[in-house]
Amino acid sequence: MSKTTIHLDQIYIDGLANNDSAIIQSIYKKFVPKVVHYIRNNSGDLDKAQDVVQEIMILLFNQAKAKKLQLTCPFDAYFFLLCKRKWLNEIKKSSNKGVTIDEDLPSNNEPTEEMVTETEIFDEKQKLFDLMFQKLGDKCQELLKLSFTIKSMEEVAEKLNVTYGYVRKKKSLCVGQLTQWVQETNRFKSLKIN
Amino acid sequence: MNEERYILFGQYIENELSAEEKTIFEKQLAEDKEFASTFEIFKELHLHLEHKFGNEQELKAFKKNLKSVSKEHFKAKKSKVIALKSWQYAAAASVAVLLGLFFFQNINPSFDDYNSPEMATFIERGDVNENLKLAQDAFNTKNYKAAIPQFETVLKEKKSPEIQFFYAVSLLENNQFQKAETNLSELKSGTSVYKHKATWYLALLKLKQKEYKSCKEILLTIPDDFEDYDQVQQLLNELD
Repeated sequence: MSKTTIHLDQIYIDGLANNDSAIIQSIYKKFVPKVVHYIRNNSGDLDKAQDVVQEIMILLFNQAKAKKLQLTCPFDAYFFLLCKRKWLNEIKKSSNKGVTIDEDLPSNNEPTEEMVTETEIFDEKQKLFDLMFQKLGDKCQELLKLSFTIKSMEEVAEKLNVTYGYVRKKKSLCVGQLTQWVQETNRFKSLKIN
Repeated sequence: MNEERYILFGQYIENELSAEEKTIFEKQLAEDKEFASTFEIFKELHLHLEHKFGNEQELKAFKKNLKSVSKEHFKAKKSKVIALKSWQYAAAASVAVLLGLFFFQNINPSFDDYNSPEMATFIERGDVNENLKLAQDAFNTKNYKAAIPQFETVLKEKKSPEIQFFYAVSLLENNQFQKAETNLSELKSGTSVYKHKATWYLALLKLKQKEYKSCKEILLTIPDDFEDYDQVQQLLNELD
């Protein structure tokens, strides 16, 4: 990966991660109207725009919290493209309805495209991981939930009425089970693509 | 499932390996591609769960905050459209006021000139608070008398500045001045987003009771970044 400099607009990402109301308000003021305009002109309405914006904001919060999201392009373009692609995907999903899409010139802004793709991959992974988690047995789910919330393994063991050693081992095995499923999905996916 | 391997991954991540074991582990990471890619997924899942459960409360707080900012933003947008319409009424009204001035001189501004309550929109899709729905519908159709008891039921269950504000406006519209004043004053001394709006309505309450002096005094406490400050300015001018 090439070394890139962080854009000044990183303040928006940090503000979202810190749940900073002033920053959130300024995002709404500065960047959301453009998204609303786009969605309204492409078979959507105000409510739909509101939903898309909220979903993207939550996604950015998650990415910023989970893995240090570092912005290397202007927030404006990044945010708009994310919302736009999310909306187009949603239209596609319900495409039995006749829709008109005002597809403008493809953006050929590489750093922005890269950042957007990275965020979309993060989104997909999160969804896949959550889906796999739901597949786990109740015992694994409970143990993982507790051990990632409480941190102290001794306490988790006490709560579940098992030994410390068991919790340690079981935790790794439960994450291991998830690892295996994710690997299988990846294999399946690449088979489909190639 | 390769149990030994996953246990080893866990120990490495939690930093439970001896220096020697660690060196062996890292050597294998560097040499064994399959081992490394499995570890990569394991590590990512670990990170995901750490975030998912570790930041659960923060995510909740963020969503709540986001929702209220979004609601406020889009409401302002919607009411701007209405405000534009009521501006036309206001223009017509002020022509009438001017005519009145011409003929009668020294006529005082009236409550009705400024009385244009915004639409109440508490009910979101999927929301099922029956009383709140009834209150909202009654309020938006200007049936304030019917809205009041519904608001009271809702407020008994959960008090929010937003609902209290619309309740107070209903009281004012229905000429229940005492109660309206108590509620508006409470909002005025609070810190919610309805603080300035409540102050504005408190001024209108005085106007409706023809207490022009206290109306003016209250208007002067409203900061000029208030969203309807042009209205405040206009009323101040008329009161002079």
